[in-house]
Amino acid sequence: MTNSSIERRDFLCLGAAGVAASLAAGCATVAAEKKAASPVAAGPEPPAGAPAQGDVPRRSLGRTGIEVPLVSMGVMNADNPNLVRAALDGGIFLLDTAHGYQDGRNEEMLGTVLPGRKRDSFVVCTKIFVKTLNRDTGLFGPGTRGEEITEKLDISLKRLGLDHVDVLYLHCQSAREGVTHEALMKALEQAKQAGKTRFLGVSTHKNEPEVIRAAVAAKLYDVVLTSYNFKQDHHLEVQKAMSEAAAAGLGVVAMKTQAGIFWDKEKSKPIDMKAALRWALRDPCVATAIPGFTTFDQLQDDLAVLHKPAFTPADAAKLEGGEALAGLFCQGCAECLPSCRHHLPIPELMRSYMYGHAYKNRAAAQELLLALDLPAAPCEGCDTCPVVCAKSFDVAERVRDIIRLREVPREFLI
Amino acid sequence: MTPALAALFLLAAAPSAAQMLPQVDGWKLKSPPATYTPDNLYEYIDGGADAFLQFDFQDLTAATYANAQKVELTADIYHQRDATRAFGIYSQERRPGSTKMPGKLEGIASADHLELVVGAYYVKLALPGGGDPAILPRFAEKIAAKLPGPRTLPPVLACFPDQGQNPRAETLSAYHFLGHAFLHDGTAVPYQAAGARFRLFAVQGNDAADARAMVAAFRALAQLPKAEVPAEGKLVLKDPLNGEVLLSWSGRWLWGAVDHPPAASQALVDELGRRLLRR
Repeated sequence: MTNSSIERRDFLCLGAAGVAASLAAGCATVAAEKKAASPVAAGPEPPAGAPAQGDVPRRSLGRTGIEVPLVSMGVMNADNPNLVRAALDGGIFLLDTAHGYQDGRNEEMLGTVLPGRKRDSFVVCTKIFVKTLNRDTGLFGPGTRGEEITEKLDISLKRLGLDHVDVLYLHCQSAREGVTHEALMKALEQAKQAGKTRFLGVSTHKNEPEVIRAAVAAKLYDVVLTSYNFKQDHHLEVQKAMSEAAAAGLGVVAMKTQAGIFWDKEKSKPIDMKAALRWALRDPCVATAIPGFTTFDQLQDDLAVLHKPAFTPADAAKLEGGEALAGLFCQGCAECLPSCRHHLPIPELMRSYMYGHAYKNRAAAQELLLALDLPAAPCEGCDTCPVVCAKSFDVAERVRDIIRLREVPREFLI
Repeated sequence: MTPALAALFLLAAAPSAAQMLPQVDGWKLKSPPATYTPDNLYEYIDGGADAFLQFDFQDLTAATYANAQKVELTADIYHQRDATRAFGIYSQERRPGSTKMPGKLEGIASADHLELVVGAYYVKLALPGGGDPAILPRFAEKIAAKLPGPRTLPPVLACFPDQGQNPRAETLSAYHFLGHAFLHDGTAVPYQAAGARFRLFAVQGNDAADARAMVAAFRALAQLPKAEVPAEGKLVLKDPLNGEVLLSWSGRWLWGAVDHPPAASQALVDELGRRLLRR
């Protein structure tokens, strides 16, 4: 078995506790390279009886000095404590949760796993959402109290069974004014001074560059947790802000690296998770990524990326192939509908076009077309098509193309 | 019906935001309700969206009401794919031992929250700035009256023996029970019996062959010798990732016990099986 191709059978035969040692064998090159690039080596020690975590590839989380594994665990949708145990024992020792996930059940689930393990064998990050935040504007409304952070953090610590977390994030920031809210910054600082958190951070998935730069300027935060994936239209801007943050000494953690799991709404075309994760990790500014997983197979994939993080041409091809499909994917925004003089069901027609051209499933495309009960000449009388598509599809051309399928005998399509 | 047509049908059948939100004396909508889809749910609940997506989230209607005293009440109506999925996410968020909401609806209530499940809808009501909690069940009843679908719990829950069962602690996991990709949805109920805490579970296959395929995959995971899976049977498996599993199967059902079940739990497992097969 090589570290790059751990087999499912081997993973299962070893059980969770045996995975890290097997994967670690042979990955010294990556680990050594990363260690050489890391100024500080203050990472957690392995739990008693567990395989040595010291061998998992790590990067430094900025000025915190914490050495984190390249791949961490977003715990948000995991309900099986054994999955978390397997991740920890496999070397994925950074766990990311939030006060609000599953109404607190997520932190409570972690609280069944963490007690009994050496405190320095894992890194726990949680986030607090302050309820006066206006999600549209990113601004905090009147009545915003720093005490809300203190109260919620105390509850989180109780749920987790810990006396401190490693990183406490101000959750869901999308504007500079939110990141620099005076009362909240003061409460965060007090939490750190009280020893309830070692470091502070902000999390963002909207207006990320502005938030990241505000976090740098605030001089309070040590870590930024940001959306970052190959499908983001503005990923170059995010990347630039991330590198500024890293240069200023902040640790950068990437989330939503899988960009939605599926290429299509019908969930028939999964995004290659390993390729997407490697795409994010190719940026040296990213200390770690926090993909969520719910099965042991997905954990196995993440462990494979942890030990073989290099983004390959094959990965690029997988993501590019999907992007071509994305170019055929109508998001169903329905903005086109008012402009069609014939009131055609354009989103459904675009979906039929996608079935026919992207999935090569012409039977499904025809079935949908016939169900729409279109007139014989849907665009009759329109010399020029007035429809404007939000995604710039040539709607008239696609309609002309796909409706030809109606006349094709079914037996030629199956 | 094809999935595409089924989706069109469901979209047509689902009530609109305006139809779901009730008029309650003394309360007014503070602003037009917002609607979220799978593409932007994270804008509303951040990483918490992932758990909803896992349970086939369709859309969310989020509204804020206010009364003359400027007390605010938020109503979030999550539309999942079906009643099972709605119960699933509700069961994942519900804290074991929570207080049942007053009345016949399935829900839980606290001083400033109320959560209920009606058909394919999971409804969360809250008084974020505090207020008289008596208003919450009033809103809940009015919203529930506008939602289609069953008001009852998934029938499989009635098959779990009462003796030793922790109240209101059942959970439904979407698609990959116990974290295994080869298992479908699993319903699990915690028990405290014979001096131990463990869970009974039930997993439904599409048909008998599908159930046997799951058993075969479970056997392979536990490294048992390859053998034809009979139509019914029981096994004690060593799951390398979840520990010992008491597993039984018959027809399209798998059921059993996990989390270090004591030997005495076998009687409960057998009773669960009898009830499942009578369904």
